[in-house]
Amino acid sequence: MSQELGNLLSKKLESESINGEIINLEPLTGGASKEIWKFEVKLKDKSEKYILRRGSGIEGPLAIKTSDEAQIQKTVRKLGALVPEIISVSSLSEPLGDSYIMKFVEGETIARKILRDAEYKNALQNLAFECGESIAKIHQADIAEFSFLPKKTVKEQLSDLYETYTLFDQPSPVFEYTYLWLKEQNFGEINDALVHGDFRLGNIIVSQDGLQSIIDWELAHVGNPLQDLGWICGNSWRFGNRDKVVGGFGDLKDLLDGYNSVSEYQVDQEIVKAWQVFGTFRWGVICLIQASAHLNGTINSVEKAAIGRRVSETEIDIVDLLFLGGR
Amino acid sequence: MIFDKPDSVELLNAVNHFLNEKIKDEVPPHLAFKLRIVENVLNIVSREIALGEKLSNDVIKDLRELIETDTANIKDLALLIKEEKLDLQNEDLKKLLVKLSKNKITIDNPNYSTLKKLVD
Repeated sequence: MSQELGNLLSKKLESESINGEIINLEPLTGGASKEIWKFEVKLKDKSEKYILRRGSGIEGPLAIKTSDEAQIQKTVRKLGALVPEIISVSSLSEPLGDSYIMKFVEGETIARKILRDAEYKNALQNLAFECGESIAKIHQADIAEFSFLPKKTVKEQLSDLYETYTLFDQPSPVFEYTYLWLKEQNFGEINDALVHGDFRLGNIIVSQDGLQSIIDWELAHVGNPLQDLGWICGNSWRFGNRDKVVGGFGDLKDLLDGYNSVSEYQVDQEIVKAWQVFGTFRWGVICLIQASAHLNGTINSVEKAAIGRRVSETEIDIVDLLFLGGR
Repeated sequence: MIFDKPDSVELLNAVNHFLNEKIKDEVPPHLAFKLRIVENVLNIVSREIALGEKLSNDVIKDLRELIETDTANIKDLALLIKEEKLDLQNEDLKKLLVKLSKNKITIDNPNYSTLKKLVD
């Protein structure tokens, strides 16, 4: 498979005037639904590192096309957001399939390494503030540039999530309660913006010097942007470090200070809680979607099967937030 | 049961031990990640066989007391909440949802941080 993929990459890069032998092609541990490959192109006197991100065709109802992800990265990069440079984009009908090639960015994406390894200790100090700043910059993009993205109000997103949950015929008393609770919440009156949709450890590249790049735009859409702030505060993305509300590494105040230093709209902590519950519910529904791909026979994957038993993580997080003073 | 030893949990534990001791260090990194998932799955199955019925019955008993019906199940509770036929501020309902969530995560992921916080 690697040999064949290497040939496809080589041809694609030739069309971008990058001519060289493909070496060290290896799969990386990526998301549950995309293939990620790292490789190098051997040029005359050096080699350049690249990443191939490739759709599997079974991404589920919330995901956008991989080639559209590339388009977003190109656009926000022009605005100064930290994203890898896109080198080449392939559509579904091309031999390489729905995918893109981007420059490799040095750093780490694996959450547990970033949270555990001594070399990132200093970077973590300021990371929540940096994330806040970066999220705010993304939210400043002109949404006219993203007419190809789904655009949803909070109310529409909520009812979409609820409808999706009901498709799986696995009634959850906690999700029913959550949906009723969410319908009553204030999510902030703010202009629609580009929402990353999955901003958290795992989807950002961190080095010893801090935040380097924002990747994995598969859940991007246009809507109320405060969603990105609540998402990274969900316990699902703290990787066991419950006490550090922001991504397992930072405090909410620092995230909001970073955000408010860039954004005209000033966010207060109260609104984040509603978004935390929203995000946790959303992650629960995404777990259902992923598991259903295995259950309905689209793909036989132990990874996807296992994720079905992570729905209970979101339920206990929600009851903790709603009834037990959790944060 | 008419079956010989090892029982199902013991068999699963043997497989898990094999994966952990003999296979883990032999596979490339991207498969090591999946192997951890496989081990987690086997552990879920072991716990469900050992504790699942008890934890499930524990919730169903409270559920039937709350809605005063002898045959009610999780689906019925979900529907009653959906149709707002239960008072959403009722403390017993909240306690039941907490217990349901705790018992499920006890099988699925007993090391989950929120469960640990609530048990401590």
